[in-house]
Amino acid sequence: MRLAAPFGSLIDRDAPVTFTFEGRTYQGFAGDTVASALAANDVWLISRSFKYHRPRGVLTMSGDDGNTMVQVGQEPNGLADILPIHDGLAVMGQHYSGSLVADRDRWIEKFSSFLPVGFYYRAFFKPKGIWNFWEKLVRAKAGLGRVDTSTPHGYYDKAYAFADVAVIGGGVAGMAAALEAAKADVEVVLVERQPMLGGSLNYTRIDVEGTSGPALVQELLGQLRAAKNITVMTEATCTGWFTDNFLPIVVANRMVKLRAGQVIVATGAVEQPAVFRNNDLPGIMLGSAAQRLIRIYGVKPGQRAVVACYGGTGYGVALDLLDAGVEVAAIVDLSATPTDNPRRQAAVDRGIEVLQGYGLREANARRDGAHLAGVVAAPITGNGELADEQRAIECDLLCMSTGWTPAASLVAHAAGEVSYAERSGSFMVRAVAKNMQVAGAVSGEWVVDAAIEEGRQAGAAASGQDANPVPVPRAPDDRPPQPWAIFPHEKGKEFVDFDEDLTVADIRNSVAEGFGDIELVKRFSTVVMGPSQGRVSALNALRLVQSHAGRPLEGARGTTNRPPVTPEKFGHLSGRGFEPVRLTAMHDRHVEADAEMTVAGAWIRPAYYGADREQALQDEVMCVRNNVGLIDVSTLGGLDVRGPDAAEFLDRVYTLSYARQQVGRARYVLMCDQSGTITDDGVACRFSDDNFYVTTTTGGSDAVYRTMLLWNAQWRLDVDITNLTGGLAAVNIAGPNARAVMEKICSEVDLSAEAFPYMGVRLARVADIAARLLRVGFVGELGYEIHAPAGMGEALWDALMDAGAEFGIKPFGVEAQRILRLEKGHIIITQDTDGLTHPHEANMAWALSRRKPFYFGRRAIAAQMKRGLTRKLVGFTLAEPDGPLPEESHLVVRDGEITGRVTSIVRSPTLNRPIGLAFVAPDQSETGQSFSIKGHGGRMIEALVAPVPFYDPENSRQEM
Amino acid sequence: MAQPTDHKRRSFIYRQLVSAGAEFTSLADAAVASRYRNEGDARKLGIADLSPLPRTGFKGRQALDWMAEQDVAASPHNNLANLQPDGCLVARLADTEALVLSDLEAKSTTVEKLNALEPGVGCYPVPRGDTYFWFVLAGIHAPDCLLKICGVDIRPHKFPNHSIAQTSIARLSTIAIRDDRGSTPAYHLLADGTSAAYFWSAVLDAMAEFDGRPIGLESLIALN
Repeated sequence: MRLAAPFGSLIDRDAPVTFTFEGRTYQGFAGDTVASALAANDVWLISRSFKYHRPRGVLTMSGDDGNTMVQVGQEPNGLADILPIHDGLAVMGQHYSGSLVADRDRWIEKFSSFLPVGFYYRAFFKPKGIWNFWEKLVRAKAGLGRVDTSTPHGYYDKAYAFADVAVIGGGVAGMAAALEAAKADVEVVLVERQPMLGGSLNYTRIDVEGTSGPALVQELLGQLRAAKNITVMTEATCTGWFTDNFLPIVVANRMVKLRAGQVIVATGAVEQPAVFRNNDLPGIMLGSAAQRLIRIYGVKPGQRAVVACYGGTGYGVALDLLDAGVEVAAIVDLSATPTDNPRRQAAVDRGIEVLQGYGLREANARRDGAHLAGVVAAPITGNGELADEQRAIECDLLCMSTGWTPAASLVAHAAGEVSYAERSGSFMVRAVAKNMQVAGAVSGEWVVDAAIEEGRQAGAAASGQDANPVPVPRAPDDRPPQPWAIFPHEKGKEFVDFDEDLTVADIRNSVAEGFGDIELVKRFSTVVMGPSQGRVSALNALRLVQSHAGRPLEGARGTTNRPPVTPEKFGHLSGRGFEPVRLTAMHDRHVEADAEMTVAGAWIRPAYYGADREQALQDEVMCVRNNVGLIDVSTLGGLDVRGPDAAEFLDRVYTLSYARQQVGRARYVLMCDQSGTITDDGVACRFSDDNFYVTTTTGGSDAVYRTMLLWNAQWRLDVDITNLTGGLAAVNIAGPNARAVMEKICSEVDLSAEAFPYMGVRLARVADIAARLLRVGFVGELGYEIHAPAGMGEALWDALMDAGAEFGIKPFGVEAQRILRLEKGHIIITQDTDGLTHPHEANMAWALSRRKPFYFGRRAIAAQMKRGLTRKLVGFTLAEPDGPLPEESHLVVRDGEITGRVTSIVRSPTLNRPIGLAFVAPDQSETGQSFSIKGHGGRMIEALVAPVPFYDPENSRQEM
Repeated sequence: MAQPTDHKRRSFIYRQLVSAGAEFTSLADAAVASRYRNEGDARKLGIADLSPLPRTGFKGRQALDWMAEQDVAASPHNNLANLQPDGCLVARLADTEALVLSDLEAKSTTVEKLNALEPGVGCYPVPRGDTYFWFVLAGIHAPDCLLKICGVDIRPHKFPNHSIAQTSIARLSTIAIRDDRGSTPAYHLLADGTSAAYFWSAVLDAMAEFDGRPIGLESLIALN
C-alpha cells in the first residue's frame, strides 16, 4: 500500500511505471526499486533460499543481503531491493522448481537433519566413482539463477577519474567532509551508492518529530550545490581500495577508476539482524528497511508490527510506523533497563507497549508458510537465554533494530585494522592506512552533530588544512555491553547466514568439528561466503565462533575482507575491449582481391586469394615459380641502426660479422639470446658506413627493438636505433619475370644481375616513390623486396600490379610463401625452432662467426656443443608420397620413445611430393635414413631424410 | 573536389573518411578531409584526421642542437611543445628526440626544409609522416572523452596547453599533445599508423556518448 506524501521522497508519483514479476503485471513509480514496487502491491515473497528453498523477502532494502535476488532477462542475481524499475521490465524469481509461490523443492528442508554443515565434503565420494551419479543431481539443484551462455555481450566501459580528496559515502559525515576539504580549493569527489545524498538521515528518525534529519540533509545539499570543486557521483559504488588510493567506482555499466590523493571513508554502518527461530520469514526485516520503505518509497510495510531493538533507534522506527498508519503491537527492547531517549518516551506516550529486557524466541508463519504471522517474545535471563515465560504477539511485520556494524571494507582493504569491540557490541575501526581518514558511523560515531564535526575534521586533514587526522579508534563510551540478539532454539532454524541457510547449530557444530577459527569455520561451513559477503552475518558468526571456541571476543577479527565490497559484473571488470589491430597500407587492396585474411600477432595478413584454398595455393606458388608474384611483407620488422658504431653494435647482437660488410650489400642476421637460443633472423642492409637497415621477423620486431634499446643503453655505443616497422610498407616481387616488371617502373637503377646482384641493396625510386630495394630471396626466385613509405604503400602496390599486368602477375599470400620457402629449405623462426633451439640443432652453424670475440649466446652455444647435439633439424620426404600426410607437431617416434617432431610439412606444388622439416635424433639425421612419424590415429608414417634445399639447390633461380 | 587516390601519399584511413561523408582538399602531397556531409560540432567534440599533413622527427644526442641551428626551437623541457612563428609545433619528447608538426594549413615549409637536410652524426631523421597517424580530438568534451581511454590526467586544469603525454590510449602507445584551438580544448594524437583504423573506431566509440563525430580540417581551423 502506498503512503501519501511527504512519504516517498524518491518516487515520482506523476511517472507510473509498468513491469512484470513472475509473469504478472504490476505498477510502480519512477524511483521505485523492484522490491519497493512489489511491496506497494503487497507482494513480499521475492526469492527462495539457496539450500532449503525457504521463502525470502525484503531484509535490508539496501542491497546488503541476498534475499531479494531475481532474474532479469538473461541476467541472474539482480538485487530487487536496489534494482530500479522501468517500463517493460520483466523480472522473475529464481532458484525454485515449479513456481515461486509453490516451490516443489521446498521438501529439501525436511531432510535438513541429513544435511549438516560440511556434509558436502563427506558425502558423494564413496564408493569410488559415485560422484558421477551425484554430480547430476547436485548440479541440477545448485547454483542461483539461470545462466544463458548465448547472452550477447553487453556494452560496458571504463573511465579514469582523479581527485585530490575522494569521499566515499554521502551521508552527513561524508557531505561535511567533502565541504570542508573543498574549502582548501582542492578537487573533491563525493561518491554515494544510493540515488541521493544524505545517508541514513533520508530514512531514520533522529528526533521525536522526525523532521530535523531531512532538514539537515537539505542544508548540506545546498552547501554542496554551491561548492564549485566538488563532483558528486550518486548510484556509484566504490567496490574496493587498491594501492595508492586507486578506487574502482561502478556506475551503471561503467567502472570509473578513480585515483585519489586522500580517501575519506564515510561509508556508515550496516544494521544487523537478530538470530532466532524462523528469523528469515518475509515480513521480518531490519528497522532501517522498514523506514526506507516508508520514507524513501512511500510504502506501508505492514499492518501490525513488532519492533525489536536496543533502545533509541528502534523507538524511532516505531514512531515512523505509527505515522505510516501501522499498528505497533509492541516494542521488544533487549536492553535490561530503559534509556532516557525522548523517542522512547514519545512511543510510550503514543500507547505502544514496551517489553523491556525481552528477547525473541521465535517467529511463526502464516498457514501458507510464506509470511510472518506472529512472534513469541520472552524475558532475557542471560546471553542467548530466555525465560520460560513468553508472550505471543500476532503481527505481519517485525522490525529488527538490533545493532549495527561499520561498513569498513575499504578500511580493511587498505590494511587498516577492524576488530570486535565488546563495548560497542560490533566491529570497530582501530587503525587506518596512510592517506585515509574515517568519519561518521563507520568509525563508531552515531551522534549526528558529532559525525558532522568528525567529517569536517577528516576533510580538513585530507585537504592539508589540519595536520591532525581523525583519531581512531573512538574512545569507548561508558555504555554497558548489551546482550546479543542471538537466541538459539531447541528446534533450530535460527539463521545466522541467510545466504547459505546456516543456523546457530551449523556454526556450533563447525567449531565442535575442530574448526575453531572464524577463517576455518568460513571455509568449512561457507558462512559469510555467499552473495552478501557477510555484511549481515559476519558479526553474529564471529560472536558464535569465539563463544563456542572459548576465545575472547574483544579484538577478534572477522574473516579477511577482500574486494569487491559488492558484486561486480564481469562486464565491469572487462569493460570495453581494446585490442589494437595492425593493418598494412595495402590491406584494403587484399580485401578487394578476395583475400582470406589471417591473424599474425597483431597483424591481419592475406593467407591466400580466392575462395578455393587448395587451388589458390597451387596457382599462387606456380605463378611465382614460373612467372611473377607479389606479396605484402610490410609486417616484417624494419629498424634503422645508425651512427659511427652501427657495425660494432650489430656485431654484438647478431651472430655473423658486419664490420666489413660492403655498402650496398645485405647480409643474413641471426639473433640468439644469452642462453644460445635462436630468437630472430632477417637481413642487415648497409646503405652507408654508419647506416644499416635491419629487418626482423613479423612476430619478432618488437622484441628485437626492445633488446637493441636495452643493450644500446648498457653499452653506450654511438648508435641510434629507430623502429620503422609501421612506417615502411614492403612488398616482395618474385619470379622469373620480376626484373621485367621492375624495369617498367624503376629506371634509376640498373637491375641487371651483374649491376644489382643477389643480396645487393639500393636506394631508388620505384613508380616515383623513394624506396629501399633489397635483392633477397626468401621464396627462392629472382626477387626484390621494396620498402617504401607506408603512406605510399597502396600506390606502390597498385603500380606494381599495373606494371605486372601484361605478365599475368598475381598476388600471393602467407600460405603460398610458406610453401615456397619450404621448397627452398628456409626455416621460419618460432615455427621450425622453439624456445630451446640453438643454431647447431637448426643447421645454422654457418651463421656463427668464429672470429668475433662476442655475440649474444656465443658462450652458451659453445657450452651446448661440448655436451653434444640431442636433436637435429632435417629435411624429409615420405616413403609413400601419395600416402597420408603427417601434420606439424606430429611426433617422431623410435622404439616408443619420442626423438623429435615435425615442424613444417607440405605437399609441394612445384616438386609434386611431400616435403618437410623435422627434428630427429642426431643418429637419425643422415640423408637417406628413415624415421617414423606418428600421424593421425596413431598411424606410423615412414619418412626419409632428404637434402635441403628441396628446390634449386644450386641457387641459380634466385641469383639469375 | 580532390580524391585521396589523386596522390601517392594517402591517409591510413581514407576509406573510413569517405564512408563518413568526407570531402577532400589537396594539401601538400596528399588529400585531407576538409569537411563532412554530416559534420560534428567541433566546439563540442570532433575528431579530425590530419595524417596527410607534413610532419617529421629527429633523434640523437645532437638532435635538439641541430634543430636549433636550423632556427627550430624546442622547449627547454621534455614533454612540452613549442609553437613556432610559422605555426609549426615542435614537441620535445626527450633530451634526444623531437617531433615537428606542420601548421594546419600546411603553409609552413619547415618540415620540408628539415627533411631535405642531412643532419650528420648524432642527429637522425625519423619519418613521422609514415610511422604515425595524426588525429586531433577537439571540443569541450575532449578531455572527458579521453578519460575513457587514457589513464593520464589530461584535463585542462591539470595538463596545461602544449603539455605532452607519451602514454597508452586505448591500449595503443600514443603521443598526446594538448594544443587548444582558441578557447576550445584540442589534443593531437599520434601513434603507429598501421593501427590507425583501429584507433579511429575506438575513439569514435568513446565519443558517441557526447555525440562526437568526425570533423574536417576547415572546422578545426575555424575554432581559432
